[in-house]
Amino acid sequence: MAASEKTGESRVKIEIRDVSFDYVDRKSTFAALEHINLEIREGEFLCVLGSSGCGKSTLLSLLNGLNRPKSGEILIDGKPVKGPGTDRAVVFQQYSLFPWLTVKGNILFAIRQSGRKYTRKERNEKAEDYLRGVELLAARDKYPGQLSGGMKQRVAVARALALESDVLLLDEPFAAIDPKLRLELQELVSSLCAKEKKTVVFITHDIDEAILLGDRIIVMEPGRIRTETDVDLPHPRKRDDLIGTEAYEKLHRKLIAGFYTQIQEDIDTEVSL
Amino acid sequence: MKRLLLDRKMYVEFALAAVLFAANVLLALFMPYLTEHKRYYDSGAYIVMLSLAFALYTAGVHVTRKKSASDIAVVLFLFLMVWELAYKFGAVQNDLLVPSPEGLFHVFVEKPEEIWQDVLGSLQLLFWGFFLAILFGTFLGLLAGWIPRVREVLLPISNVITLIPPLMFSAYLIMVLATFREAAIAVIFFAVFWPTFQGMVARVSQIDKAVIEAARTMGVGTVGMLFKVILPYCLPGIIKSISKSLRGAFMCLTGAEMLGINLGIGYFIEKYKSFADYRCVLAGIVTVGVITTVIDIAVNKAERAMIRWEA
Ligand SMILES: Nc1ncnc2c1ncn2[C@@H]1O[C@H](COP(=O)(O)OP(=O)(O)OP(=O)(O)O)[C@@H](O)[C@H]1O
Ligand SMILES: [Mg+2]
Repeated sequence: MAASEKTGESRVKIEIRDVSFDYVDRKSTFAALEHINLEIREGEFLCVLGSSGCGKSTLLSLLNGLNRPKSGEILIDGKPVKGPGTDRAVVFQQYSLFPWLTVKGNILFAIRQSGRKYTRKERNEKAEDYLRGVELLAARDKYPGQLSGGMKQRVAVARALALESDVLLLDEPFAAIDPKLRLELQELVSSLCAKEKKTVVFITHDIDEAILLGDRIIVMEPGRIRTETDVDLPHPRKRDDLIGTEAYEKLHRKLIAGFYTQIQEDIDTEVSL
Repeated sequence: MKRLLLDRKMYVEFALAAVLFAANVLLALFMPYLTEHKRYYDSGAYIVMLSLAFALYTAGVHVTRKKSASDIAVVLFLFLMVWELAYKFGAVQNDLLVPSPEGLFHVFVEKPEEIWQDVLGSLQLLFWGFFLAILFGTFLGLLAGWIPRVREVLLPISNVITLIPPLMFSAYLIMVLATFREAAIAVIFFAVFWPTFQGMVARVSQIDKAVIEAARTMGVGTVGMLFKVILPYCLPGIIKSISKSLRGAFMCLTGAEMLGINLGIGYFIEKYKSFADYRCVLAGIVTVGVITTVIDIAVNKAERAMIRWEA
């Protein structure tokens, strides 16, 4: 009952009110999101599932402020989002590291941007701590061009953490990382966010990952939120303890079912076209 | 057995170059002139030059280990040998237009002070014109590339102006500006400024959008975006374009000097052309060649040292 206990005490951090968004180019408009409503509480870990192309990254781009809603509004701490800001850290699906800076340079850049008054020594120590956390301390002097996909992704995660923001927006941050390291990183992010009461929106394709990390899981279908599911499992969760338990199986089946009906509908509409 | 510094095969080529070098020295020292009308010059300067070239080649082939170094040396020594033989056998009809190699390099002994001053003068003009053009071109290109309003004003202007070869309005610049020095700097400036500007605008517009977005989500503002993100991102491209513009600048410089600026190595060439002293003209041309090569090598070295990442 951990998650619902939280519900009672914590306030709303992010509010998405009737938000729609179109991708517009010269010839056509594409309605990527339609009338989305969502509230995310302070300190909540929200996982977003959904088939490829259903608008998860688009939703994140509205939250981070790079795109503006066509209609509706997004409030953070009650104030409308007017653009990007250091109160929200982002890990992009395509990493987007700065190629001219070393791995450590990338982290230091974020620490400087955080606007916190650290001495040079503190900044150095912090950067190395974050890199140690994602097991990349040895690669600190490499350039992004010299890293593997999974390494780049870890740098991106470390860089987002280094911004020390209240809100973390993560777009499939562990997609390219091997299973063992992924477990470690899940634990790192999970414990760090719990400790510092970060509000997290975490996009993933991995149902297990969503159950392991999320206080709540939403499943999207193209343009809409299909289902919302609270995860009432106590923290900290251990993957090995979870898998096989009844509660876990029930959740898993429910989420999978959400996907299946959606896929079924997709096929139906394609056939009828 | 002691290990060789180079492959065995490269030493064969090295030996060939060395033999050609020695043959050139012997020809210069001992071969008599077989024609009647000829000019004697002391062969000292020529032999010093030959030795210098050989020393450079020896060092170069051991450092770079490139086969092409040997090829270049062989071609150079063969060329000089043919020239020397042709001259001494009397195949050259016009002594005035085609001097002997000894005669050409003797110029450097006759007027070292004059050549040195002219080279120094050229380099100063080059430095100021070039330096200012790169500085302003990059800065304005950065602004125009990032801020649409600036771009819409500056880009059409630059598109028209770059169609006119810079040497065409340099005659006018020389009349307008107070001193030859300023005029020459202005000519080089305009020759380098516009291409630099346009290159920078193009580079900024091709920048990876994801990088810009990442910077924006980290709260980077306009000034930070220009100098902490875009400029470092474009730096390899800027440095690469510098060596290219440098060649253009040098061509413009010698051109401008020939148009009537009384200083610099281009002026040196022009002056001796009007005296019909083609020996000095050729010496001037050789000097220009050597200087451009040296600058080119230096810039390439700096380029490799400064670019530690590739996009
Ligand atoms: N820049 C764009 N211009 C036009 N359409 C776009 C653009 N970006 C995304 N789309 C469209 O919007 C829809 C949602 O894209 P989005 O990237 O949000 O999907 P996603 O849920 O993140 O998918 P994935 O899981 O594959 O990352 C897709 O149908 C895509 O074709
Ligand atoms: Mg996506």
